[in-house]
Amino acid sequence: MKTDSFIAFLAKGAQLEPKPAITPRLWVAASLGLLVSLVIIVTFIGLLPKAAFATASPWVKLTYTFLLVAAASHLTAGLSQPLAHLARPLKRLWIVLLAMLGVGAWTLYQTPSPDRLDHLLGQTWLVCPWTVLLVSLPSLVVIQRTLRTFAPTQLREAGFACGLLAGALGATAYALACPEDSPAFVAIWYTLGILMTGVVGAFSSRWLMRW
Amino acid sequence: MSEFNNKPAVKPSAHPFEREIGDLWTQAQSGDELAYAQMLQLCAQRLRSFFKRRMNNTPEDIEDMVQETLLAVHTRRHTYDSTFPVSAWVMAIAKYKLIDFWRRHERRDRLHDEFDETLMAQTTQQPSLGGNESNVADVDTLLSQLPEKQRQAITLIKLLGLSAAEAAQQTGQSESALKVQVHRGIKQLSQLIKRRPS
Repeated sequence: MKTDSFIAFLAKGAQLEPKPAITPRLWVAASLGLLVSLVIIVTFIGLLPKAAFATASPWVKLTYTFLLVAAASHLTAGLSQPLAHLARPLKRLWIVLLAMLGVGAWTLYQTPSPDRLDHLLGQTWLVCPWTVLLVSLPSLVVIQRTLRTFAPTQLREAGFACGLLAGALGATAYALACPEDSPAFVAIWYTLGILMTGVVGAFSSRWLMRW
Repeated sequence: MSEFNNKPAVKPSAHPFEREIGDLWTQAQSGDELAYAQMLQLCAQRLRSFFKRRMNNTPEDIEDMVQETLLAVHTRRHTYDSTFPVSAWVMAIAKYKLIDFWRRHERRDRLHDEFDETLMAQTTQQPSLGGNESNVADVDTLLSQLPEKQRQAITLIKLLGLSAAEAAQQTGQSESALKVQVHRGIKQLSQLIKRRPS
């Protein structure tokens, strides 16, 4: 077909219908992903006993993951289009990350030195990042497929941002089942699981987000 | 490349391409079809020279890429954020499509389809299939003898150069259904060409 007639074909009757913006679509995708993660957690691991929620530790984790969800969704929304101001979402992401590392380091400093390694590794350091990664995968797929219907042009970066968001959602679900108490544990192993999901997202973007 | 800078605001001192299409785009966004067609024409010119400079090895694909980018601009126009100049938005999409083309091209060269080659061999006995009007008309006549679904699939995938996924999005059919239609259609076309008195 010649380009002239192709243009005529595109322009004919091309009224712009309103479609949902990125933020509401992203929230729908994120909620869906979180729901699937919760189902997986409840089915295969089981929630913490009620008494655990009277202590601070699940709330520390949830605060961290919620703040990460907020910052990462901001970044993801920015990368859903060719041009965006990324400085602010990136700054927020760093602030959340560094704050958590700071709290972790501080509590570790307060701990008598023979116990430090126990605090850092807990009982589950080997499974924690992998569990976060696994329960995040459904969110990752849903979020990347959603972003694809917008116009992400920096696929790798956008894929990484999707992975951070998915990882933060997976970590939120996992926080309801995780028996560890130490903020230092959260700062290291949760963060590692989320970053791993980010890396998977950067690679899967070529298949899941191409448009 | 200055058009890829993430600078906001459409200033009077903007890039010449922005001055050309900025207002037309605004009118188009509020439903002016004429302005939209005009804007796409200007984009086509700009895109043609953009791809020409970067696709020396595959000049036959330039026009496909122009159309593919226009289609991308068209289908994604609801995602445009008005705090950025539209010219930079269009060119960023063009750059993305170019990178995607390079990747796809590597793959496509390895997996060239046999049907395509038989068809090409047969059609090149006719005066070549290149861009000239009478041959375009020729293809149109041949295509018009195919069932609607096969014609649509071939037009989108083989003539406009969409990927199966994009074509699926356009038509609402599944990718595999479209691929089957293309194969059947091409088989049918080679039958038609063989039978034709030359």
